Amino acid sequence: MGSLEFEGRGVPFKSGDTVASALYRDGLRTFSRSLKYHRRRGLYCGTGDCPNCLMTVDGLPAMRTCTTRCDEGMRVERAGGWPNADLDLLHVTDSLHRVMPVGFYYKTFIKPRFAWSVAERVIRRATGLGRLPPTTAAAREIVRHEHVDVVVIGAGIAGLEAARDAAAGGSVLVCDEGRIGHAVAPGPTLDRLQALEAEVRALDAVTVLETHTALGVYEGLHVPLAGDGDLVHVHPSRVIVATGATEAHAVFPGNDLPGVMLGRAAAALAGVHGVRPGRRAVVAVRTEEGLQHLQTVLDSGVEVIATAVSGAMADRLPDAGLGEVVVDGEVHEARGGSSLRSVVLRRDGRAKRFDCDLLVLSLGLSPRDGLARMALPGEAVTVVGDAAAEPPAEACGHDGIVCLCEDVSTHDLEQAWDEGFRNSEILKRYTTTTMGPCQGAMCGRALSCFAVSRGDVGHRADAPQAPRTTARPPTRPVTLESLAAGVHEIVDKRTSLHELHVAAGAKLDRSGGWLRPFNYGDWREEYLAVRERVSLMDVGTLGKFTLGGADADASELIDRLFPCRVADLAPGRTRYVLSLDEAGYVMDDGLLVRVGEHEWYLTSTSGGAGRTDARLRNFIDRFDLDVHVLDRTAQWGAINVAGPYSRDLLERLTDDPIDAEAMPFPGFTDATVAGVACRVIRTGFVGELAFELHHPRSRGPELWQALVEAGREWHLVPHGLDALELLRLEKGHVYLGQDTMPDDTPAKLDMSWAVDMSKPWFVGKMALERMATLGLARRHVGLELTGGPADTAELRGEPLLVGGDVVGRVTSAEHSIALGRAIGLGWIRSVDDGFPEELVTGSGAVATVVPTPFYDPGGGRMRG
Amino acid sequence: MHVPCGHCGRRPFTEFSFGGEWREIDAPDAESDFVRVYLPENPEGPQRERWFHAMGCRTWTTVLRDTRTNQIERDTRTNEIG
Repeated sequence: MGSLEFEGRGVPFKSGDTVASALYRDGLRTFSRSLKYHRRRGLYCGTGDCPNCLMTVDGLPAMRTCTTRCDEGMRVERAGGWPNADLDLLHVTDSLHRVMPVGFYYKTFIKPRFAWSVAERVIRRATGLGRLPPTTAAAREIVRHEHVDVVVIGAGIAGLEAARDAAAGGSVLVCDEGRIGHAVAPGPTLDRLQALEAEVRALDAVTVLETHTALGVYEGLHVPLAGDGDLVHVHPSRVIVATGATEAHAVFPGNDLPGVMLGRAAAALAGVHGVRPGRRAVVAVRTEEGLQHLQTVLDSGVEVIATAVSGAMADRLPDAGLGEVVVDGEVHEARGGSSLRSVVLRRDGRAKRFDCDLLVLSLGLSPRDGLARMALPGEAVTVVGDAAAEPPAEACGHDGIVCLCEDVSTHDLEQAWDEGFRNSEILKRYTTTTMGPCQGAMCGRALSCFAVSRGDVGHRADAPQAPRTTARPPTRPVTLESLAAGVHEIVDKRTSLHELHVAAGAKLDRSGGWLRPFNYGDWREEYLAVRERVSLMDVGTLGKFTLGGADADASELIDRLFPCRVADLAPGRTRYVLSLDEAGYVMDDGLLVRVGEHEWYLTSTSGGAGRTDARLRNFIDRFDLDVHVLDRTAQWGAINVAGPYSRDLLERLTDDPIDAEAMPFPGFTDATVAGVACRVIRTGFVGELAFELHHPRSRGPELWQALVEAGREWHLVPHGLDALELLRLEKGHVYLGQDTMPDDTPAKLDMSWAVDMSKPWFVGKMALERMATLGLARRHVGLELTGGPADTAELRGEPLLVGGDVVGRVTSAEHSIALGRAIGLGWIRSVDDGFPEELVTGSGAVATVVPTPFYDPGGGRMRG
Repeated sequence: MHVPCGHCGRRPFTEFSFGGEWREIDAPDAESDFVRVYLPENPEGPQRERWFHAMGCRTWTTVLRDTRTNQIERDTRTNEIG
């Protein structure tokens, strides 16, 4: 016993109640308003298949209240309707059918042009299944994977039998979206189910997973199961679909009135929850289980005033209490206002009206075969039980609601047919039948039936069944949390110096998959330290690779892989390299270090390390070379010691010779610095005398601290990416990805010096030769910027114009401290077979094309 | 879908990165190089393609995958390691 809060008032519930059964007991009959015409909808299927009982539960919209268990204090409200679902003034749309016909958004409110923007705002408010909570904290869903031989979807009688039989051959997982037997009224069916459940639970090979909904059957095979708070990815060898069937949705006038109910819903109310589903009822029975439902309804004290029954079932009816029995009678019409008042039964053209408040329908079974129809041909997916049943040949119905979710009537289908949509697939798309929350569970067969009866152009006359529209996941409503399950927060890589950066007050942010210092408080001071004194930068994020192998294979690989000259690179020397793809486009850049005759050390950009590794291994494989790659990116750290006093600083900490003679630019040496064995590489990215110290990651902190300590003499401060942005820009060095485009060739970047076209072959060479014949349509240039905003960086991203035409873009822009003026990089297109020299940015600054580097063009400082 | 890695055997495809349709690494002239780079065959049926076991042993494998059914087998015609 407990109480939930329904639209501001308390509603008691009993143990075992669903939200729908508690509300029904409390007297609620209008469970929702339909999507388009705001028609009243009552409890209908009782099995989580139809859209009628969707409500907002604890802030979550579109919850199926007939399968949602009650919890103390649960807040429940209906979504549709204004001011509320009981007194819904928007119901007026039902009589505006003529101005909102099927597909109305394709053909009304078109002119004048503003009409749709007005109408759309109104329509969006008037429709929908509720609002997503905008501020709710994201639920964390746990993801796990299950590898089993067989997964059985559905734990009804057929599913449990299949699970029992499959257990002899291997591991079995049997799942169900609800709890086994919970929605089944007491009777022979429930007894059988409970016996089977006990049998299956006793088997070691079987795992039973309740309240987990299969969302789809994906190739692989792969079946995701959404539970409350977790998502289970099942990877089975075989799938058995035992999802059963829904009771058939019948189409007749008034078929969506509150009070019209499928047999299972009435039986669940009466037999499971002890709620009398109505006072006076008409019951229509054509199925075996319908007989049970009829008995359950009778036992609950409902007065049955008429029973329509098929001839085959007639002699198996209960003896008494059936009212007038109409053998082979059919439900012709349901009448009522806010709920059902009478039902017209018809036989042999003679109709008779019965006053009642409940109509119980058990007219046939409609297999829930959506999951089965998702499987690819040849996949090990079998269907058992009612899900595999041949649906009965059914009358297509007349003049009623076909699609409860999207409010599509037979009238709408006829109109669409007349407009030329003469195939179930395009009828579906045009009218949105089967596209609502029920995914065709109710309306799918009625749609096919309608299309075939009219001569569906896609239907072969000899085909046994009407063509169904394509089934796609998800079969059941799914929360965004389930879809996002397993997509964790971005994991930021950290260098071994991370704690030292934090202690130094660094502002850290994401860059290339790493968490890196952007500044330590004052980036201008950091910049000046590099240009005038000495500074450190953590560059442990660079991709770092060692390559070696049999004979000259590693050298052979390097020569074929990179466009620069390799043969003349002596051991102990380094060279800047571009990585080109097979189309000749620049993918990445880095430094190539010849460690020994056939031993190489290669760096890549921080973000490009993964791609570089894959590329190296791909070509080793394709060239069939005997080369080994060691990815040292995570294993080694690196610190760039830069500035005019960097050599003086290092000489305090090492006994190995690092003077200009022993180690000229661009060279490298192995040296022990502050007791740490380092590979020392002369680099030039910032344009000053600089040494990169590559070292074992674990020794990074002590090395950094020793450098900081020894650097006090020169007022050393470390620098971050903010200072680097200007340092490299003053040298005209591009940031790949920021300054470049995916189809930039070395020529476009003005970097043909990094390519040796006299080499017999390298990756991308033939593409470069071909493009050289096409002429240069775009190139990357240095820019001097005048008349721009106070903060030059604002110019980054602005278009570059000549005579009002956009011909390029600014990709980097900063106020140069060294030069005292605004500079930038950008790309420009050729205009009339020449490249413009004077351009205007989008905001009106003047951009003049100038040669790079802007700073120290001779490179004397870097070579020092 | 499981990709037959030359080193690890069949593993879930989520461990791999797709390396595109297999193609020759060289061409005799510029014209055929253009075709090689820009005009993949994109067949409806068995396609020769490359997969990289990025979240595993980091070797490359050449496979034949039927683009209609995703039936996938190792391609043993090539002389690559993986």
